[in-house]
Amino acid sequence: MGEIVVSKRAGDELVARGLGSCIGLALVDRSAGVAGLAHIVLPESSETDRQPGKFADLAVPELIDRVCRAGASRRRLEAALAGGARMFELGELDIGARNADAVRKGLATSGLAVHAAETGGSRGRTMRVSVGDGTITVKEAGGELTILLDGSAGGAHLPRASATLEGAHR
Amino acid sequence: MTPRYTELQLDALRELANIASGNAATALSQMLGREVGLTVPRVLALPLVDAVDACGSPDESITGVVIPLEGDIDGLVLLLISTEGADALCRLLGVEAGSDIGDSALREIGNILGTSCLNALASMTGLNLCPCPPHLSTDMLGAIVSSLALTQTESADLVLVLDSELDVADEPCSISFVLLPSDGGVSDLLTPLGLAA
Repeated sequence: MGEIVVSKRAGDELVARGLGSCIGLALVDRSAGVAGLAHIVLPESSETDRQPGKFADLAVPELIDRVCRAGASRRRLEAALAGGARMFELGELDIGARNADAVRKGLATSGLAVHAAETGGSRGRTMRVSVGDGTITVKEAGGELTILLDGSAGGAHLPRASATLEGAHR
Repeated sequence: MTPRYTELQLDALRELANIASGNAATALSQMLGREVGLTVPRVLALPLVDAVDACGSPDESITGVVIPLEGDIDGLVLLLISTEGADALCRLLGVEAGSDIGDSALREIGNILGTSCLNALASMTGLNLCPCPPHLSTDMLGAIVSSLALTQTESADLVLVLDSELDVADEPCSISFVLLPSDGGVSDLLTPLGLAA
């Protein structure tokens, strides 16, 4: 939570467990075999708190910068996000929705398109990124596994494909 | 580690939590007709990520019953009940776990425990505290705890968690009883005790 991890070691798995209103943002360059994942907690940093991984406004550029420093090419980056749920109908602020908006806005500002996303709703999620082939999955609490990015399918910049895993893959 | 609270203040909060959860344990015991044990409460003032870890594994499936507080302080009471525990509670109450009526029974347990906790806090501090209707969710622990904590704190920099375990005798049922005061709620609790932050 509030962390950013980046890896280029095939076989590594990056995981954001138990995302509620938080957002998991994954960036992969499948050609270079580089992947990064940020577990973003809140939409905007304040003057007193500027932890780079915690806030969408800082975490999006920071993650882009770190995957590129690890060898990814900015124009090959594919982005997927998950989380931003509203777990309970409490309070007036929907932090999950604000987080999702802030991350999308940050990606747009940086010129990155969203390849696939699973946001909103009222269930927790766990997001996983396989470093190497760049497969990105998300699993909802009590639900099915959804593939946000299928690393076994060739070529970057495929149209949005999110299929249900039925034991065939991997 | 806990720059914003002194040891004395944390001790006072621990004592509040002790009496509040003691009251809740008595209420649960009367409701179930079983002995209910109580651990010494932990008072944790931690960054959000560590507060979640202190409650358990982030992707563990768990039932959370939330009672938001209204009145002189903002905050909420959260009961975390393991899947096994939820089954046991429903069995003791003669309802089917996972059904609407089972969920309703767990919500009612939350209501009774939350109210008895608030009564204790109110009589110690002289504050006016009212419970709102309970919410229930069976989901990932991390998702429940982090999302709730974020409704109570602006920065998630330092989250105050007061928790203790209630154990129902002869049943695989332990309930984690968590008080999550809002940022301002902590000083509202401490002020009547003469320990204003």
